[in-house]
Amino acid sequence: MFLKVDNLEKSYGTGDNIVKVLKGISFEVEKGQICVLLGASGSGKSTLLNIIGGIDTADAGSITIDNDKLQNMSEKEISLYRRNHLGYIFQAYNLIPNLTVKENIEVGAYLSKSPLDLEELIKVLGLWEHKDKMPNQLSGGQQQRTAIGRAVVKNPDILLCDEPTGALDYNTSKDILALLEEINEKYKCTIIMVTHNDALKLMADKVIKLRDGQIRKEYINEVRTKSKDLDW
Amino acid sequence: MKNPLTKRIKREFLQEIGKNIAVFIFIAATIGFISGFLVADKSMQVSYDESFEKYNIEDGNFEISDEISEELKAKIEASGVKLYENFYLEKETDKEKTIRIFINRTEINKVCVLKGELPKAEGEIAIDRLFAVKNHYKLGKTIIIGGKEYRITGLVALSDYSALYKDNNELMFDATDFCVGVITREQFEQYREGKIYYSYSWSFDGQNLTDEQKEKLNEEIKNTLVTGNAEVVNFIAEKDNQAIHFTGNDMGSDEAMVKVILYLMVAILAFIFAVTTLSTIEKESAVIGTLRASGYTRGEMLRHYMTLPLIVTVIACIVGNVLGYTFFKNIVADLYYNSYSLGTYKTLWNASAFIQTTIVPAAIMIVVNILVLSTKLRLSPLKFLKHDLKKNKKSKAMKLPKLSFMMRFKLRIILQNMANYFVLFIGILFASVLSLFGLMMMPLLEHNEDIILDNMKGEYQYILKMPVETANQNAQKCIMGSLVVNMKGCRKDEVTVYGIEENSKYFEDIKLSDSTDKVVVSEAILEKLKLKVGDRLKLKSEFTDETYEFEIIGSYFYPQGLAIFMGSQEYRELFSLEEGYFNAYLSEEKLDDIDEKLILTKINRADMIKVTTQLEDSFGGMMPIFAAFAVLMSMLMIYLLSKVVIEKNATSISMVKILGYNDREISRLYVTATGIAAITSAVICIPISYYAMQVLYFAFMQEFAGWVSYYVEPVVFAEVLLITVVSYIVVAAVLFKKIKKVPMSEALKNVD
Repeated sequence: MFLKVDNLEKSYGTGDNIVKVLKGISFEVEKGQICVLLGASGSGKSTLLNIIGGIDTADAGSITIDNDKLQNMSEKEISLYRRNHLGYIFQAYNLIPNLTVKENIEVGAYLSKSPLDLEELIKVLGLWEHKDKMPNQLSGGQQQRTAIGRAVVKNPDILLCDEPTGALDYNTSKDILALLEEINEKYKCTIIMVTHNDALKLMADKVIKLRDGQIRKEYINEVRTKSKDLDW
Repeated sequence: MKNPLTKRIKREFLQEIGKNIAVFIFIAATIGFISGFLVADKSMQVSYDESFEKYNIEDGNFEISDEISEELKAKIEASGVKLYENFYLEKETDKEKTIRIFINRTEINKVCVLKGELPKAEGEIAIDRLFAVKNHYKLGKTIIIGGKEYRITGLVALSDYSALYKDNNELMFDATDFCVGVITREQFEQYREGKIYYSYSWSFDGQNLTDEQKEKLNEEIKNTLVTGNAEVVNFIAEKDNQAIHFTGNDMGSDEAMVKVILYLMVAILAFIFAVTTLSTIEKESAVIGTLRASGYTRGEMLRHYMTLPLIVTVIACIVGNVLGYTFFKNIVADLYYNSYSLGTYKTLWNASAFIQTTIVPAAIMIVVNILVLSTKLRLSPLKFLKHDLKKNKKSKAMKLPKLSFMMRFKLRIILQNMANYFVLFIGILFASVLSLFGLMMMPLLEHNEDIILDNMKGEYQYILKMPVETANQNAQKCIMGSLVVNMKGCRKDEVTVYGIEENSKYFEDIKLSDSTDKVVVSEAILEKLKLKVGDRLKLKSEFTDETYEFEIIGSYFYPQGLAIFMGSQEYRELFSLEEGYFNAYLSEEKLDDIDEKLILTKINRADMIKVTTQLEDSFGGMMPIFAAFAVLMSMLMIYLLSKVVIEKNATSISMVKILGYNDREISRLYVTATGIAAITSAVICIPISYYAMQVLYFAFMQEFAGWVSYYVEPVVFAEVLLITVVSYIVVAAVLFKKIKKVPMSEALKNVD
């Protein structure tokens, strides 16, 4: 098993104000799969993603990625792990405003010992004509493509996407999802995507539905629907 | 692969070009001045040290009442020294300035010709360059000395008169009223008939002697003169000669102070840089979170955010050093040349100055930025992603008193930016101390001059070689002597000892004791030696090992300097002088019936304020620089920190614009908040800087012969405050434009 989440617990606050966000979450994801974490606001899906990504810590339970246990790692090792194995995409694109599209993607490439071919990736991202533009000259979709490029270029084992289409319109969202699919197929990276959009479950290999910090439903799609065929 | 983040550096520099250029210029100019100071200081010190050999400066001199006999000369030279005639005349110029004229020197105390040439014929003279500058004498022009006209052929520096001390016992040299010069031997011989001062210089003739051996030889010369029945008027070993050593002692004495100013300034700028970078970090919080989540380490982020301030600092330091070696060096050298009669100097590479003005400031910049930024960058990537950059949990809003809405709004802005305003406070404090220093010195010296002149004990003071009577009934006899007090290190300060006649009209209100070990002291003694009435004061003789201990029974307002007062009877008793002895007159009029030869020193109004006049000369050039520096620093700090406040609040500014506030109202909120903080800081800083300056001034005066009381003219406080107010007004105008430029769309950006 490539990713194993075992009995994960997490709470915020202290004393009477304690809120349990994750209540014993366990699941597994195979290498190269697209896993969609579905849930409403406050269900704990982003917290779960952050713990998997090593930017937040669990109170209990464990995460194993390719036989490496995150719990046993020091902060420095986790940072190195993120550097070598993980790519992050957020709803807000968080691009560096005074770097061009190409340079923003280079920021990701710098972290990798074996980055993807930059020019080829920019073409895959559909940003070739925009590669020398600054982020403020781009549309939301183009900015998110750049953010995806920055995460993908370092050739990560897992791509963690937190509401990657949350700030985009319908058509642009579909373009971005198609891009993620293409990346998954082309570069064989595992994608874990947090979304509240129920329609996206169809494009996943594995779907995990969360509510109140617990898994309410977990299943495998025998056949993935192409993102271009999704509708919502 | 090269870190792509480095590509941001140039763009960030250009995006903030105003700020970066301002800081760059400020650092470069400061470093330039300080580097120039250290380079000129060191180069001049080296050439001053080398001048001893280059110009063959004497190992001592004595003056006797008549020409030395061949026999006595041979006796002295037998002890292993070589004697040189260094006879001189003293004449007055038509402007009542004293000029001491020597024969062209060829063997000892040689002359450095700075401009023109040495006199070759009758009616020609070469005079001291500094005196010429101060009295507007030009090369090739004439000077009237003793009623005779001389053509000035050269402007020179006499190696044994780098500080123009007329008398070695004087508190201060005087380059305005006293001059030295050289004429031809033939010209000098024409004056043989008149009064010649038989001064002889000696040298140890190339012997490599220890200080102890030198001291022993000096004693031997003195004893030979005394046993040879020579009437010794003066005997000054080279090490005790202020005209030779004052300059050397002064050189480098300001180095520590200048370096402290530099490092404090760099530290404050480093904090300002750190605060502005913190503001950028807050602005780029989500980007940092994403980069950290992607695997960028804290160290990489820290290095990235420190690069620009460090580059600006290092380049400014290097440019500053170039300016120091080229431009500022001359300014500092001019300051020295404006005080001392120095020869030429050669600029020397000063590695230590380079380290102190480049490596140390860069190191300060690194350390301060690491300390401030690493605290912030230590937060987790998640906190950055959530824009939650407060280390502690959100604190409750502070309850404000019932004030108008606008006032409460301004107070909220101040409270939100307390860290920035604290840095601003520290910066304003530093600028206030500097501006106080720059603005207070001249009024302080003028004030002391006025007080000295208002409290003079007679228009004239005559110190006599022996008791001589005068027909002037108004002149009052007294006894004047001097003892020394040991100061920190090996330094000694001279204390004038007055023996006052009973019922003296000049010391009407003084209450003296009839005991020889109880004295009244001038207030300067209490201030300088940190003593109080009832304490004991230990003084010693300058030339012997004899010590005297007195109980202080009172203080007396005597602004002329360090002095103790006792009855003349007690004075005579203490120093075993014969009944009726006196050696001075205090008088409102000139005493023309006393033979000039019997007068040791004549002190008039100008002599009384010689110390303050010289200090005015020495400080005159520096003070405007300090004041200007303080103004620039105030402006820069207020600008940088207010800019941070406005940038930090860009979204809020944009939002209130959307709500309908106009630019003027918004400026009143955000710029006035900074104004309140800046001016409040300035007001608080005034008493603090007054006391800080007092501490610094007292420390400075400890190193200084004599005492000038600490005084700050009230108007100076207003000027210091005005500097901040004017700085704020200038900055406010710039910031108003900045506020106008904040677009309404800003409020709609970056909303997660």
